[in-house]
Amino acid sequence: MIRAVVADDEVLARQKLRQLLRDDRDVEIVGESATAQETIELVRAANPELLFLDIHMPGMDGFDVVSALAQQPEIPSPRVIFTTAYDQYALRAFDVNAVDYLLKPFTHERLRAAIQRVREQSQLRQQNAGSANGNGPAPGFYTNRIIFKSRGRILFLPVSDIRWIGAEGNYVRLCTANETHLLRETMTHLEEKLDPRGFLRVHRSFIVNLKYVKEVRRETNGDSVVIMDSGHKVALGRSYRSVLNDQIHQA
Amino acid sequence: MKLQPQALHKKSLLMHPVVLVTCFTLFGLLFAAQEWVNMHRAGYNVSPWYTFRSWGAQYFMWGVISWVLWRCFQSFIENASAKQMVTIVLPVSLLTCLFEIMIWVALFPSYPKGHSAAPYWARVGWNAKDDLVESLSIFWGAFFLFRTMGYHQQLREKEMAAAQLEAQLANAKIAALRMQLNPHFLFNTMNSISSLMRIDIEAADSLLEQLSSLLRMTLERRDVQLIPLHDEIEFTETYLAMQDCRYAGRVTRRLTVDPDLHDALVPAMILQPIIENAYVHGLSKLDRGGQLSIEVLKDGEWVKALVTNSGLGLGVEPDEQLNGHRVGLANVRNRLRLHYGDGCAFSIREIDRGRVEVAISIPLQLSANAVESLTRYGV
Repeated sequence: MIRAVVADDEVLARQKLRQLLRDDRDVEIVGESATAQETIELVRAANPELLFLDIHMPGMDGFDVVSALAQQPEIPSPRVIFTTAYDQYALRAFDVNAVDYLLKPFTHERLRAAIQRVREQSQLRQQNAGSANGNGPAPGFYTNRIIFKSRGRILFLPVSDIRWIGAEGNYVRLCTANETHLLRETMTHLEEKLDPRGFLRVHRSFIVNLKYVKEVRRETNGDSVVIMDSGHKVALGRSYRSVLNDQIHQA
Repeated sequence: MKLQPQALHKKSLLMHPVVLVTCFTLFGLLFAAQEWVNMHRAGYNVSPWYTFRSWGAQYFMWGVISWVLWRCFQSFIENASAKQMVTIVLPVSLLTCLFEIMIWVALFPSYPKGHSAAPYWARVGWNAKDDLVESLSIFWGAFFLFRTMGYHQQLREKEMAAAQLEAQLANAKIAALRMQLNPHFLFNTMNSISSLMRIDIEAADSLLEQLSSLLRMTLERRDVQLIPLHDEIEFTETYLAMQDCRYAGRVTRRLTVDPDLHDALVPAMILQPIIENAYVHGLSKLDRGGQLSIEVLKDGEWVKALVTNSGLGLGVEPDEQLNGHRVGLANVRNRLRLHYGDGCAFSIREIDRGRVEVAISIPLQLSANAVESLTRYGV
């Protein structure tokens, strides 16, 4: 069960979250607040795991709340999902490690995705706590999520959501379960950013998430392709074949 | 709004033939007066008439010659390169000076004093020796004067065109805020939301979210006129997603973009009116099986966008033709012309029974500075 606090100066905005979360069995709203000061006190008293935080509120703004809470070591800071009509604070939100940034008006689906992230992150925390001395590269070396703007929305995309990546001129296309996003980036740079245990360059123009690879197959014309869970085919470059085979055998 | 050629090509008053020739002649008379005064002071007894008519005639002729040359070769004078000045203008200047001197000598056989009996060509030679440098300075002086004037004229024209473009775009933006030249779109969308609210809350919600995204993208652009194709396509995708909602299952669509063109500069909001036109005048007339294809491809040094839709074809809507039909397309065409002049193409045609294709071509121009982006990697 995730215990959550909703901080927004507008009643209707709070009501919306309450409504949408009503059916969600593992999120419980333990309190609502309308100002920054109220929020700080409420969090102190209720000690929630999740805080839905509006940025513009009377008195201090949402970021002041976050830093005020961070200065209180006696209570663990809740995970924060910002809810705002303004898109210009997204980077700041990303920097203070917010879980997500919901631009108003947001859909139920978008909210569900954000809460899913909270679940994933707390799972990950527990895992890390369990295997603190595991081997492999130091945590924090590879990217675990990317923030970008796509079609008027702001996404804090966990890299684990990416199925495959394709090169398109000066851009790369990130493909998730049901969407694609174009990013101004090079394949080489992205490849360096991604954990090689999860992502593999299979072609000059393609990187795949191994988690979603179903099989590797040789087509009738002699070309090899990587077949994803979704059935999507990604070309496999000649010089990348052996690396992929090794990876699949390891997994 | 239309360009007004008469306003753009307003000529300088100086270039009116009477004004120009009079100015030249007055200059000549000024020099004559100066020479006469000097001669008089030095003790020579020269009649003013003798001095004034020779100077006056010379500068009068230069006035006429300059005006004729300017009239005939204006654009060459304004645009000649340094190389052309040496290879073409320089020889022409020598010939013109010689020509002027020959006429002058023929007009005034009694000059110079005391040599009136000498043969014509000998007198031409003397005069050329004395006056060639002066004549050349007049020729080149006039040449550069006209060039400078032409340069300023072009600059003014460019400024005016830019001002008009800005005004046009301001209008386009207002129209965009009213949802793309067609307030019906905004109201219809709101009506769809209002209707969905009762039967499918999630769908209403998602339509509302898409409408906000569209508005956000529109507002974010501020007054930028040319944007990377990538941004235009994001806008188009959101618009198409909304249309999907409204035309649920009735239209299958395809959007393809050449990956090399993501950074190509295109006028903001150029595709949406074309696509809206495809829906309003084609796809909306079909109960099912509508097809829409949007293709942006590279054609040599051109960016070509093709929007093809099925429907009833062209020319079956007499009422709407009269009621400002295809206003969106007219706006697209106007904006293209303002941006690129003759360096662009726009066409609408029926390629097949009921299938209409709108094609635009604009010069390929890549966005030079990398777009500032929000992208950041978290560790």
